[in-house]
Amino acid sequence: MAARKTFARFFLHFVIIISLIIWIVPTLGLLITSFRPAEDVNSTGWWTVFSSPLDFTNYTLDNYLQVIRAGGMNTAFKNSFIITIFGTLLPVLIAAFAAFGLSRLNFKGRSFIYALIVSLLVVPLQLTFIPILKLYNILNLSGTFTGLWLDHTAYGLPLAVYMLHNFFQSLPDDLFEAAFIDGASIWIAFVRLALPLSMPALASLFIFQFLWVWNDLLVALIYLGGSGQVAPLTMRLTNLVGSHGQDWHLLTSAAFVSMIVPLIIFFSLQRYFVKGILAGSVKG
Amino acid sequence: MKRCVALLLVFLLISGIGVFAKDTVTVMGVWGGVELEAFEKVMETFEAATGIEVEFEGTRDLPTLLTTRIEAGNPPDIIVLTGLGLMNDLARDGVLVELSNVLDMDKFAEEYNPIWRELATYKDGLYGLYISADVKSLVWYNPKAFEANGYEIPKNWGELEAHSKKMIADGNIPWSVGMESGAASGWPGTDWIEDIMLRTAGPEVYDQWVNHDIPWTDARVKRAFEIFGNIVKDEAYTWGGPIAVNATNFNDAIAPLFMDPPQAFMHRQASFITSAIREANPGLVAGEDYDFFPFPPIEEKYGTPVLGAADMVSLLTEKQAAKQFMRFLATPGAQSIWVGELGKIGVNKRINPNVYPDELTAKMAAVLQDAIVFRFDGSDSMPGAVGSGAFWTGIVDYVNGEDLDSVLEYIEAVADETYTGGAATD
Repeated sequence: MAARKTFARFFLHFVIIISLIIWIVPTLGLLITSFRPAEDVNSTGWWTVFSSPLDFTNYTLDNYLQVIRAGGMNTAFKNSFIITIFGTLLPVLIAAFAAFGLSRLNFKGRSFIYALIVSLLVVPLQLTFIPILKLYNILNLSGTFTGLWLDHTAYGLPLAVYMLHNFFQSLPDDLFEAAFIDGASIWIAFVRLALPLSMPALASLFIFQFLWVWNDLLVALIYLGGSGQVAPLTMRLTNLVGSHGQDWHLLTSAAFVSMIVPLIIFFSLQRYFVKGILAGSVKG
Repeated sequence: MKRCVALLLVFLLISGIGVFAKDTVTVMGVWGGVELEAFEKVMETFEAATGIEVEFEGTRDLPTLLTTRIEAGNPPDIIVLTGLGLMNDLARDGVLVELSNVLDMDKFAEEYNPIWRELATYKDGLYGLYISADVKSLVWYNPKAFEANGYEIPKNWGELEAHSKKMIADGNIPWSVGMESGAASGWPGTDWIEDIMLRTAGPEVYDQWVNHDIPWTDARVKRAFEIFGNIVKDEAYTWGGPIAVNATNFNDAIAPLFMDPPQAFMHRQASFITSAIREANPGLVAGEDYDFFPFPPIEEKYGTPVLGAADMVSLLTEKQAAKQFMRFLATPGAQSIWVGELGKIGVNKRINPNVYPDELTAKMAAVLQDAIVFRFDGSDSMPGAVGSGAFWTGIVDYVNGEDLDSVLEYIEAVADETYTGGAATD
């Protein structure tokens, strides 16, 4: 019995490790390529460095220096931050209110509104470009950060509401009953009870939305128009490459430069995933 | 929490106001990298002289973005087009501003080869201004490697064939070809076909083919594909054979010529390739380490025609500042900055040959100024679905080993669907 268990375990680990390796190979290739000189990138594959991995003439920081020194990179970083921070906070905040209302308050048409919001999940983004841009031209919102925040909020809301609604629904009813008996208003129940308890859900939602907005190129291109003043990092990075794909090797280092921020966000919020805040909250 | 929301709202309001208050000219195009840097220099010169701000919006997905913005009533002031097809479409839809009232037409007639006016005309109206060109019918070689091996420059197709056989006998590979270009993969192959068509069937048939007056399944089109296929599908003729042809980026495909020892000896590519050579091998000297000869004539009666491509700007709005920028772009001064940076060829006759980075480019400029038989890149002139769609994928499939007849039938089917005119359209 014990031997079989060990074997099953070994097999499981084996499968996990193999799939991990398969999963990580492209990223590893990208990382190695980003440190190789342009000529090498164009003449041989990244795996050739393994024949002499300690030969440091194989590596260079040029690609990174070129990306970082490219004109307008500071503005692009700043723009990306401005866009992403509000493009993430707004939908998460609004979704939290909406999801709480939809899951914990009783009012007529509740499930209809919820179904309507969730059904918006299937509307393709591209379908909305022209009508919204027309509206923005009337409202003078095209080419502004505000317009883009509203876009990202709107595009992010259906999924956010859906996720948080499910999470709030899973919170024990007893908890809220107890709170109301103790005299808590709905507002207090939301701020003091629901929000802290749903930290893991909020954090994962935050990360999802952050990644989506940070990596977005299309929406920004359509609504901001791509001029240097307001262009986010993604737009600046695609402009490093020529119209026929020249200098594509710069994209490898550019990918890692733009990856830094999402990685910081991910690792700093990771503990919220792990923490089981809910555990023990209904005891006693 | 409430304060937080209030702060957010205030911030939203403030940032909504004022970002786009200034009078600016927006230019949309596909340029990036070195092209963008060069154009920024042109923009800076204009800004310094007039105080008008010019914003460049770069996107690789120009047609999609442009359509969206036009539909939404928010078009850029000026667009940079690389294809005639898109210009004709936009002019037909009435989106473009006619330029004969914008530019000084006397000066224009004086400073430009009439080719450029004809090429930008749609139904008697001038809708595009050419600012630079690339000559495509060039074969690049490494003079030192040629000399070391005793190879000579072929003057016609027969000599080229004999020449290639000699290289193969020496254990060398004659050609290096690369067609990879992301979503645009295949276009370098289309240039080959066009050059061969001009040389085997002549300019008239070439025009008929581009306008779809003859079908893709025509024997003359098929022959051009076969001549191309005989070269690139043979590992003895082309470095790495068909797999490398489809997998190598067009900019990297010239690299084998400068390896030690050279892995290949000839590379057919447009004039812009000089900037790729300079970037990858800064030590090479134009004229000594790399040089070009015209893509040799095949049928004697059609001679050595020039196939080219060009960058064109079109005006979309009536904004005065945008018109001023268009007039500026027509001047030799503006074009000198642009072509000097990139190794492209200026189209204004008054450009000083000294602005070109090397003698080679000046030599190409002279070739273009004197061109009598000149044809615009065929795939750029065809409707998008064919010229930058089926033709590209078709040629990749053909190199991949697909049957030629079925490839041509496939392109023909797409052409039937997309062409609105053309005698061969069913």
